[in-house]
Amino acid sequence: MRRSALTTALTFTLPLGTFLGLLLFPFYWMLVTAVRPNKELYNLSLNQLWTLHPTWQHFQKLLFATHFAPWLGNTMVIAVGATTVALSCSVLAAYAVQRLRFRGSGVLGVAIFLSYLVPPVILFIPLARIINELGLWDRPAALILTYPTFLIPFATWLLMGYFRSIPAELEDCARVDGATRIQVLRHITLPLALPGILSALIFSFTLSWNEYLYALVFLSSTGAKTIPVGLATELITGDVFQWGPLMAGALLGSVPVALIYSFFVEHYVAGLTGALKE
Amino acid sequence: MHPEDRENTAGGLTRRRFLQAGVAGLTGLALSSVSGWLKQAAAQLPPGSYNPQLQLSFPVEPGASLRILRWSQFVSTDQPEYERMAQQFTRRTGVPVRLEYEAWPDVQPKAAAAANVGAGPDIVLGFFDEPHLWPDKLVPVTDLAEYLGRKYGGWFPVAPQYGYSNQVGQWIGVPIGAPGSCLNYRMSWVKEAGFDPDPASFPKTTDEFLRLCRALKTRGHPTGFALGKAVGDANSWCHWLLWTFGAHAVAPDNKTITLNAPETVNALEYGRQLFETMIPGVAGWLDPNNNRAFLAGEVALTNNGISIYFAAKNDFPEIAGDMNHAVYPQGSAGRPTELHLFSQAYVFKYTKYPNAAKEFLRFTMEDPQYPRWINAMLGYVSHPLRAFTNLAVWRSDPKAVPFRDAVARMLPHSYQGTPGPKSARALSEFVIVDMVADALTGRRSVREAILAAESRLKRIYEA
Amino acid sequence: MAGIEATVPARARRPADLIGRILENPHALGVLMVTPAVLILAIFLAYPFGLGVWLGFTNATIGQAGHFVGLGNFRYLLGDSVFRLAVLNTILYAASAVVCKLLLGMLLALLVNREFRGKRIVRAIMLLPWIVPTSLSALVFYWIYDPTFSVITWALRRIGLAHGFINYLGDPNLARASLIAANIWRGIPFFAIGLLAGLQTVSTTLYEAAEIDGAGPWQKFWFVTWPLLLPLTVVVTVFSTIMTVGDFQLIWIITRGGPANATHLFGTLAYQRAIQGGFIGEGAAISAFVLPVLVGAVLVSFHYLRRE
Repeated sequence: MRRSALTTALTFTLPLGTFLGLLLFPFYWMLVTAVRPNKELYNLSLNQLWTLHPTWQHFQKLLFATHFAPWLGNTMVIAVGATTVALSCSVLAAYAVQRLRFRGSGVLGVAIFLSYLVPPVILFIPLARIINELGLWDRPAALILTYPTFLIPFATWLLMGYFRSIPAELEDCARVDGATRIQVLRHITLPLALPGILSALIFSFTLSWNEYLYALVFLSSTGAKTIPVGLATELITGDVFQWGPLMAGALLGSVPVALIYSFFVEHYVAGLTGALKE
Repeated sequence: MHPEDRENTAGGLTRRRFLQAGVAGLTGLALSSVSGWLKQAAAQLPPGSYNPQLQLSFPVEPGASLRILRWSQFVSTDQPEYERMAQQFTRRTGVPVRLEYEAWPDVQPKAAAAANVGAGPDIVLGFFDEPHLWPDKLVPVTDLAEYLGRKYGGWFPVAPQYGYSNQVGQWIGVPIGAPGSCLNYRMSWVKEAGFDPDPASFPKTTDEFLRLCRALKTRGHPTGFALGKAVGDANSWCHWLLWTFGAHAVAPDNKTITLNAPETVNALEYGRQLFETMIPGVAGWLDPNNNRAFLAGEVALTNNGISIYFAAKNDFPEIAGDMNHAVYPQGSAGRPTELHLFSQAYVFKYTKYPNAAKEFLRFTMEDPQYPRWINAMLGYVSHPLRAFTNLAVWRSDPKAVPFRDAVARMLPHSYQGTPGPKSARALSEFVIVDMVADALTGRRSVREAILAAESRLKRIYEA
Repeated sequence: MAGIEATVPARARRPADLIGRILENPHALGVLMVTPAVLILAIFLAYPFGLGVWLGFTNATIGQAGHFVGLGNFRYLLGDSVFRLAVLNTILYAASAVVCKLLLGMLLALLVNREFRGKRIVRAIMLLPWIVPTSLSALVFYWIYDPTFSVITWALRRIGLAHGFINYLGDPNLARASLIAANIWRGIPFFAIGLLAGLQTVSTTLYEAAEIDGAGPWQKFWFVTWPLLLPLTVVVTVFSTIMTVGDFQLIWIITRGGPANATHLFGTLAYQRAIQGGFIGEGAAISAFVLPVLVGAVLVSFHYLRRE
């Protein structure tokens, strides 16, 4: 049944366009603000959606007058590290609880979940004590090891959901054929769960990227900070927000991540949808 | 040559140079020109105002080093000067100093973690009653505080109220100064409204002030005062409103809530009339909102620190030329009753080098380092010790003068009680601001707003 | 099954040695596989978690250890009008935001779950609201909702639909709506990407079979997509609920819980009381009220996840 162009427009292009428009509009505003000269910032008579005299000075200030580059590096290292740790643990744990159904797995599944009962606002002080005892103060390792405390429960449950959608018969067939459990995991389950693993990955990555409180408390020196904390320290001076550089930081701190993700998705997932067709 | 003559010449040269630099723009203010006139303005303490012969020095521990956590700068000349000061200290004593900066609301959580962990920065520059949250974890600084008071003409009354802990019986904090707040207004519009735009003639009583605000509003230039959870602006003006009519939240015994009184009703009734002269939307204003509104020409009058003026000098010179500052007017209280962002330094007991820490604080509070730092901040921070009243910065730009006496004119936020955990809680809960906001916006009647705030305060203070 | 067979080493024999037997035993293997996760959580979470729960029963402040007060904090909170308001706010906020995010996220996932030009860009773009650090996107909304400077008001006035100012953040109800909208904006990608991954594992043969039976688009969704996606939908929704209930940065930066405490949630109130006010025991007690939400979430998702 071929769809007419009008139907496509109404049921696809228009809704999608509206979605994208609403999702992207704040970013457009960020872009305009990042290139708008300060003098124009508070002028209501000007067009709010455009600037006639775009300037690079805010980007320059961000990149050269603040420690943005080290912050970007730190945030990247910490996010990658924390995600790797969290996801490795979670994939194994989710498979164990969801598929293997070993004794005590039910209790464990619930227990992991309950770790959200005490939020970082309360946790950070006793956690600071542990970090200090382990000698991790002011080191990225402090965050790489503490972020998994809120990433693992999240990723585990998410992956349990994805594993649940993969029919158990596929694995049973392979085991009947003589595969070991490890081989089943490696060759059957993980490849099929890849879209799910990738989403768990991107979520964990962005939760780490985004985090503020632990990064504020456990890191001290200017060069060691992450992007959210660093931008707040250097671009919010009292009651004056340096909107231009802040928005430049927001853009530079998010668009690259989206591009990297899109690369991943294209490379790994698209081919897989085809493989599922039997 | 008489010392005063030398000073006047120095003052004249620096004033001209400072104004030139000011026009060129804040970021263009090369530190070299600042230090140039600073050297000339070295003798800024009038003779007789302080006791230069007093000396004190703490025996620095061998192998000492210091970590200092402080709020990040309000003005771009602050950190470079502070770092210079720290380097000078290191050269003199051999103690390396590591400075860490955090956005000012983020200092408290970091200090809290350090207090609990028993490790972290040696010195913290915090605000309000922060040291009173962990008084027994701090190194007593009574000797240093009393020395500074004796040497520099005495602390302003509010300083020992914040610095001294009744619980511990010692000074636990060294007051550093306060970013002051004043009324910011547009001179041309005030003139249009029929009032003299000169700060010296600015309305000094609340009645006259209300007349001015009404006249401004009638001519299409409303006022605007923050009623949202603006930690700086809303707290400043709401506490002023209460106190200037003789009202207060708590009695000197730190237990009895005295809010429910006719004076409070008067304050809120007045506030309601003031509210009618305000621009819509103030109920959601946080600290940056009034800056924006003022710089866009949407309001003629607001309360703020000197940050609006600075942004104006940089990017909106027409407004910088047209604006001025004035101190808050007074109501029936008959004396200044203001609230400013009081900052003090404290030293954690877990530090391995308490003497080095105290020596650093002493160094930064003494002449000529402290005056140099205050001058470098171009009017953002005002001094807590009397002898520093005549620093060059206050003589260089007349528009900065109203900020000069911030600490002298302020009361502690716990008034009439004393700073401590309970007043910290009341401040963080915005009890007073909520009450004023409720009454002024009409969410509650004046009576109900007072009762609601009173019951909240009772739960906090009598817990 | 042809493709799958090719990926498994042919005729692999089950090893008879001890390690092999352990790796085959579901219980032993299971324990082994959860060990890394359990280890990290035990070292870094057990003690702070236990302390956090304990603190709710004490009158500890930031500076003093405090002592046991039983249910004193909880009784205090239930009698506190601000806290009760925060409970209502949280329920309203979480319910509206999660429902909207689910519906919109599902819709978006369905829309992009097909081949079209620019698919890769679109899938990357739709992730942006989630990726940008909340501390920065919140600032954008702070500006967008400014009574004087809002670009929304400006646009509406240009079109002629509005006059004067809209008090997005000063009126309690408008403030709630504004924050819910901001939360929805930020949370749609979470649902969209999460559900999209699930949609991609639904085999197209099922859709083809349904079409042969005469199913239209709605029936295909309701009878094929929805049931298969349900376990994942439940998990994603449950997580979103937990995260929305605990939302902090967005609210704190835009309103700090105001005006008149109309936008205070558990998270912001806990922070204000525990860190700014210093009453960490009470802050912990506030967080403990999340327990019913968690228990409900666990029960619901367990039901869907473990059902065979």
